[in-house]
Amino acid sequence: MSGPVMDPRIAPPFPDAALPILQNTQLRKNVAHATDVIQAKRNRLVAEKQDWQELRTSAAAIRAHVLANLGKYLEEFETNCTAAGGVVHWAKDAAEAGQIIVEILREENASEVIKIKTMTSAEIQLNPALEAAGIAAVETDLAELILQLGEDEGSHIVVPALHVNRHQVREIFARKMGLPQLPDDPEALTAAARTYLRKKFLSVSTAISGANFLIAESGSVAIVESEGNGRMCLTLPRTLIALAGIEKVLPRFSDLEVLLQVLARSATGERLNPYNSLWSGVVPDDGPQRFHVVLLDNGRSEILGRKVERQTLQCIRCAACLNTCPVYRQTGGHAYGSPYGGPIGAILTPQLEHMRHAQSLPYASSLCAACYEVCPVKINIPEVLIDLRAQVVDQEREESRRWFDPMYLGMKVANFAFGDAGRFRMAQSFGKLGLRFFTGKDGWIRRLPSLGSRWTLSRDLPGMADQTFREWWAKREAEREKGAR
Amino acid sequence: MTMGSRQRILDSVRAATHADVNRYEDVPRGYIRAGSLDLQGCIQLMTERLHEYGADVVQCAPVDLPHIVLRQLKQSGRHHFVVPSGFPTDWMLSGVEWLIDQNLTHEEIEQCGGVATASSSGVADSGTIVLHHGPMEGRRVISLLPDFHLCILRVSQIVETLPEYFSRFPQAPRLATYISGPSATADIEMTRIKGVHGPRFLSVIILRDDA
Amino acid sequence: MRASLFITCYNDTLFPQTGRAVVQLLERLGVQIDFQPAQTCCGQMHANTGFRGEAYSQAKRFVQLYRDTECVVIPSSSCVAMIRDQYAGLFEELGNEELRRQLAALLPRVLELSEFLTDKLGVEDVGAYFPHRVAYHASCHGLRGLQIGERPFKLLAKVRELKLVPIENLDRCCGFGGTFSIKNAEVSTAMLDAKLVDLLATEAEFCTALDNSCLMHVGGALHRRNLKMRPIHLAEILASTEGIAT
Repeated sequence: MSGPVMDPRIAPPFPDAALPILQNTQLRKNVAHATDVIQAKRNRLVAEKQDWQELRTSAAAIRAHVLANLGKYLEEFETNCTAAGGVVHWAKDAAEAGQIIVEILREENASEVIKIKTMTSAEIQLNPALEAAGIAAVETDLAELILQLGEDEGSHIVVPALHVNRHQVREIFARKMGLPQLPDDPEALTAAARTYLRKKFLSVSTAISGANFLIAESGSVAIVESEGNGRMCLTLPRTLIALAGIEKVLPRFSDLEVLLQVLARSATGERLNPYNSLWSGVVPDDGPQRFHVVLLDNGRSEILGRKVERQTLQCIRCAACLNTCPVYRQTGGHAYGSPYGGPIGAILTPQLEHMRHAQSLPYASSLCAACYEVCPVKINIPEVLIDLRAQVVDQEREESRRWFDPMYLGMKVANFAFGDAGRFRMAQSFGKLGLRFFTGKDGWIRRLPSLGSRWTLSRDLPGMADQTFREWWAKREAEREKGAR
Repeated sequence: MTMGSRQRILDSVRAATHADVNRYEDVPRGYIRAGSLDLQGCIQLMTERLHEYGADVVQCAPVDLPHIVLRQLKQSGRHHFVVPSGFPTDWMLSGVEWLIDQNLTHEEIEQCGGVATASSSGVADSGTIVLHHGPMEGRRVISLLPDFHLCILRVSQIVETLPEYFSRFPQAPRLATYISGPSATADIEMTRIKGVHGPRFLSVIILRDDA
Repeated sequence: MRASLFITCYNDTLFPQTGRAVVQLLERLGVQIDFQPAQTCCGQMHANTGFRGEAYSQAKRFVQLYRDTECVVIPSSSCVAMIRDQYAGLFEELGNEELRRQLAALLPRVLELSEFLTDKLGVEDVGAYFPHRVAYHASCHGLRGLQIGERPFKLLAKVRELKLVPIENLDRCCGFGGTFSIKNAEVSTAMLDAKLVDLLATEAEFCTALDNSCLMHVGGALHRRNLKMRPIHLAEILASTEGIAT
């Protein structure tokens, strides 16, 4: 069974990708359950936090400040990380990042590498690049392990395997770990993963991680996690490679006092995640003696330069927007065709593709703004969605086939009608005439042609009344005038 | 190989931000910095939070510490305990097997049922134990591989809020581990399972500072 | 007190009864209401679909039309949100200084209907009678965009014989989303299904809201499935003095 397509360059448009998922009741139930659980925990802790709005304000301001001074902080990070014994690499795009990492691993003669979950490695499609170079990547996050062994793809940024139930996990583990008698309760399954991975932690000498935050003033990296596999990968191997988008940097160590508080509550509904780790470069006799950071651009500096879009880079990957999104609730992450799904995915993915792919994603939203309300760094996602939609339409304006797109045509005609009240009245009259054909005896429309059929897929439409409002008003005014005379 | 990219990226970043004026000092900081609890309140809150995530907590006076340490270790049902190279010798009474970490191999540490360390700070609001991995806390690996971790936290090290911790330690430590719960996952049907990797059992001794 | 009614393009065309109800209601409350026939659309549909230049031209017409108006009342929270949230950005990008000034001067005078009643007229009891079981649906633009808060509830609480039944997941979007309902019809329907579960659980006779857009979507499904619950705009409840035969 081939997994869902998570490469935005070839993934089907969102409305199409969503179709099979809408039929998958199990998955939708899992998504609803998972997001309900996290949201409930998050809401409880946010309600308890008296200074939640102030924290959000500061978190947003810190992130905006970093972006406005990104060059300075990146150089500061590089200087301090290098002074502490780390090696800093710069990758302009996904391909280069993959090359850098493969080269480091080749120098290490690594045939296997353990990985801590990192969205960024999925973004650059690292695992296939490693595979092509003959290097086996072992995912150590329980969810990523389930997905890897199950040849599946993540559907949520923080709990990627939420669409998989215990029976499915049992089946995957039994098969791939050689444990036919394995029971299906989560305890047993977790214990099986623990044993399986323990062997890897103690034997594999190179690890790849992401980074939640890079601290400029000390050249440190911070990783936030729950399971402990992060600590294993950061501590036991000889060589560690951290892959991080350039936007991950924070100015000072103390800025974590804000970001950690908002991240934990937003991501998993905890005051702080079970384990947060911080390290600077290489420390003699403690942990990896070779440490590399790969700083990744891959479209970020372009996003930085756009006034409305820059805020996209404030994201700290908490997934609170996914958990609250009523669209995501129905489709899960696979419909977005990208490692980044949900509201943040809808704005980040097409931008990382320089607006050449995933143009359906900015439309995968009803603009309800629930995401903006919960975003700990106050990204106005609806504002960015609307701006990206304008960019997509501007692309369409250059295409000659736009006049055959009923939506485009309809919008142009509507705009023409809205340009003048006389034209608008005429359009209303035409509409009334045209809709009469489709209006039943009870005054309702059940089927419409073309784009209208998308409406009548599941909804009726009231037919037009005898008088529009303005006709009624005009008549009333006329009668009043007559009466006044 | 990446020198060209470094310049390209920085040029691109600078082009995107050259007109921006945004000063660090102007970042609003209206959130709670200092806590409002007194010391007793802090200890109580810390204890509550530790209990919430299943850690064992006892308080003791300095004179009783070595005995309490031994008692907690014995109660864990384990026999071999690794300790950092700077762990005070008078805290190590006989009654269990002590293994002082002087470049132990991972396999040797793996054989130990538990580990005992001091700590650098405790944040009551989140029940967080902070290790900076100095001589009394040890290399990161020793508090990672064993299944049971006994942690000694001085009352004077406890703060109420996370910002208070950062104001006590304005300089980033070279290494830090913040423990706010046993390792856990909710990846299978959102059922919270304790103890995936990392110690499943945490026991804390809150050491009063009275003479 | 004078006010000018901006009926909105879709109310004018598909829900004239809402407009009539607004007029009836406000006149009953002593408001001198007028209607500028030159009005057409606020530009929201175009703006939200990505047709920014087109939205700008509509926004410009709106601002120029109401330049000297004392107060504009709009029975649609999404249209008010469009004007409040997006006009400034459009004029920043495509307009001129003059237009920006006009907008700034006009904004405080543009009010959604429930805002007009509670904030401007200072009334909660509008003398309405509606002896029916009613569920209130919180349109997203009203809820989040306008922070409409308690206003609709305060107004409904004073309607005689009306029984307001609270709905689960009040703040979850019904799935209309403008052209989203067309471009993502299946997902829109799935969201609608979820909303209907919560609505039907109230066993209300009527579902009301500040926006006929949401009600068109919800009501369209209620009718398709032969369900008894009917949509009704808040204005029509508030204008009612006799209830509705069911």
